[in-house]
Amino acid sequence: MIPSAPLAVLDLTHLPILLVIGLAIFFGTIGANLFQRLRIPQVLGYIAIGLLVGRTGFELIGEEALARLAPFNFFALGIIGFMIGGELHRETFRKYGRQFLVILLAEGIAAFVVVTLGVMAMGMLAIELGWWPGGTWQTAGALALVLGAISSATAPAATVDVLWEYKTRGILTTTVFAIVALDDGLALVLYGVASVVAKQLLGATGEGGFAWAMGRAAYELLGAAGLGVAVGVGLNYLVRRGRDRNKSMAFIIGCLLLVVGLASALGMDVILAAMALGVTLTNLAPRRSHPAFEIVESFSTPIYVLFFVFVGARLELGGMAGWMWILAAVYVIGRSGGKMLGAWLGARWTHAAESVRKYLGLCLFSQAGVAVGLAILSSRSFSGDNDFMATLIVTIVTATTFLVQLIGPPSVKLAVQRAGEVGLNVTEADLARTYRVAQAMEAGAPTFAEATPVAQILPVIAHSEATSYPVTNRQGRLVGLITLAELKNSFAGEGLSEWLVAQDVMRPAPDTARSDEVLIDVMDRMKTQGLESVPVVQAANGQKLAGLLELRAVNHRLATEILRRRQIADSPESPSA
Amino acid sequence: MDLQAYLQPQRVLRLHGQTKAAAMDELMDVLGGDDSPDIDRERLAAAVWHREELMSTGIGQGLAIPHVRLAGLKQAVMAVGLRPEGLGDYEALDGQPVTIVVLIAAPQGQHETYIRLLAKIAEVLKHEDCRQAVLTAETTEQAHQILTEWAE
Repeated sequence: MIPSAPLAVLDLTHLPILLVIGLAIFFGTIGANLFQRLRIPQVLGYIAIGLLVGRTGFELIGEEALARLAPFNFFALGIIGFMIGGELHRETFRKYGRQFLVILLAEGIAAFVVVTLGVMAMGMLAIELGWWPGGTWQTAGALALVLGAISSATAPAATVDVLWEYKTRGILTTTVFAIVALDDGLALVLYGVASVVAKQLLGATGEGGFAWAMGRAAYELLGAAGLGVAVGVGLNYLVRRGRDRNKSMAFIIGCLLLVVGLASALGMDVILAAMALGVTLTNLAPRRSHPAFEIVESFSTPIYVLFFVFVGARLELGGMAGWMWILAAVYVIGRSGGKMLGAWLGARWTHAAESVRKYLGLCLFSQAGVAVGLAILSSRSFSGDNDFMATLIVTIVTATTFLVQLIGPPSVKLAVQRAGEVGLNVTEADLARTYRVAQAMEAGAPTFAEATPVAQILPVIAHSEATSYPVTNRQGRLVGLITLAELKNSFAGEGLSEWLVAQDVMRPAPDTARSDEVLIDVMDRMKTQGLESVPVVQAANGQKLAGLLELRAVNHRLATEILRRRQIADSPESPSA
Repeated sequence: MDLQAYLQPQRVLRLHGQTKAAAMDELMDVLGGDDSPDIDRERLAAAVWHREELMSTGIGQGLAIPHVRLAGLKQAVMAVGLRPEGLGDYEALDGQPVTIVVLIAAPQGQHETYIRLLAKIAEVLKHEDCRQAVLTAETTEQAHQILTEWAE
């Protein structure tokens, strides 16, 4: 008898976990690239791939894999929390603390109120029309309160990803960082209150009542903050001694995982704990801790991709009744409207910058982890007598998460574009990647016709800062390059400069750049060849001289541009104002 | 600077032609002849005449130094043409007829040698005594010897 084959046919619903991770990151990145080409934020690309391979789509990533990979989500949320924490400097809080708090309360509570009222009305209508079997005003009220509370949460991940993708900087960006980081806390408090009231409405005696729920929320929030601060103080002490980047990397990632792991084990808010870690570190050692954030950032991309692909994979959009879609629409519209209204009101009351008043609301649509988490939590505490409502909450939050993920990232993009904060948080290399050679070259650099006597070249060079000079023929074509080193030789003989011409002292250009080439490619090429400058030829006519590209001048130009952008971003008034 | 390395005795000659073009041809025949396979006669001519178009290489005091750089050349080479009667059509910078023509060809990469060679020749032949001695030498071998001795 032949023994059964050791390798069973690959079971698509039970793929090995590493293969799932590989597939998710690989195809997620491809999806993101496609979306980026369409000028849609990359987050949507990850989520779309997730939808395709998850519950809604082909189910390549099954329940089991999702459950086993759940810890990854905490890791991703931890990284996001940590990076946001790193953006929140003491001066920012001192300056804008009250403003942030008022705006936070306004946008969160406004979303809560508007969604609660909207869902209540829609629920009553559904009961009236007989769509909701067994529904009463109490169940509708309970549903409305819970969904209202959940709606106040804003997902930092997708929002912040857009800010990073578009390299934004400015008061709107800072405000968004602060608000999305803090409103999880608000959502937890609101949920604590709402769930207690909802249980009263449903006649169930919850565990411990109002005081217990508040105590629980306080534990989750304050405990998380305390944990983050404590580890942050320790990490700061050790960062001070770290020199070896590789060791530092393992160490910092280790600390972050420690905070995230402890927070989730102790039932505390993971994002808040990681954020407290980031805030502590950046404020204790603003400059020294900078590499720590760079390390985490450089490590983060695959984790994000995985996180968002799983967000998509987890969404389940089949099996929703028609009226539930209407309810979902009411929720989304109420939530978006409430957040915009609240953000606008809060910004007005605190006399925030115009860009914050006008565009902050648009940045707060995203919803994910916390909302889904709270929905699952509530489905547990309401199951039993109110199974239908419990399922309804999860279904509505899932469906609306999908909807707001479609509109959320693009509206963040729109907001930061309108506020003029896109591209203000860039490095020299970022700029060099977006510039063409033509934008950075000296079009008016001194050039010489090949017949120019050296005696006439010398005075021009004496008044120029360039280190090399292109030589052209009668047709304006580049024929060579004069460098200072070559020219020095022509002083070798007395009177030589009287009868030597440019052609005699030039040498062939070691390399040329085309005016339409991407600047960083040319700069890299120059660095490998050790060239200080290269002549630039026209894109249309590959031999006609267009100008000169000098590394020194290019670096100066890039640094000036970055300084200009930072000044715009950090000026007290918004760039758009 | 040791001129012997760049100038061989048989590359010093009396010019028969009476024009600049004829003189250049004679000198280029010498440089681009059979004993220098790395010089392409046509490319040499093109380069020489292109340089003359930019500015005359007749630098005054009866002296002309046509000079070019050529890709593929292994070493700098030169040839000297003598015509005591003078070439009237050279269009030298001082308008005087040219009596000594020194044709120099150097490899593309040896920029420093090239300039130093030009400087040396100009420096040596700026001396009236040297020019006279070279022009009145009885044989071209003697002229070669006078030149290389002055250059030492």
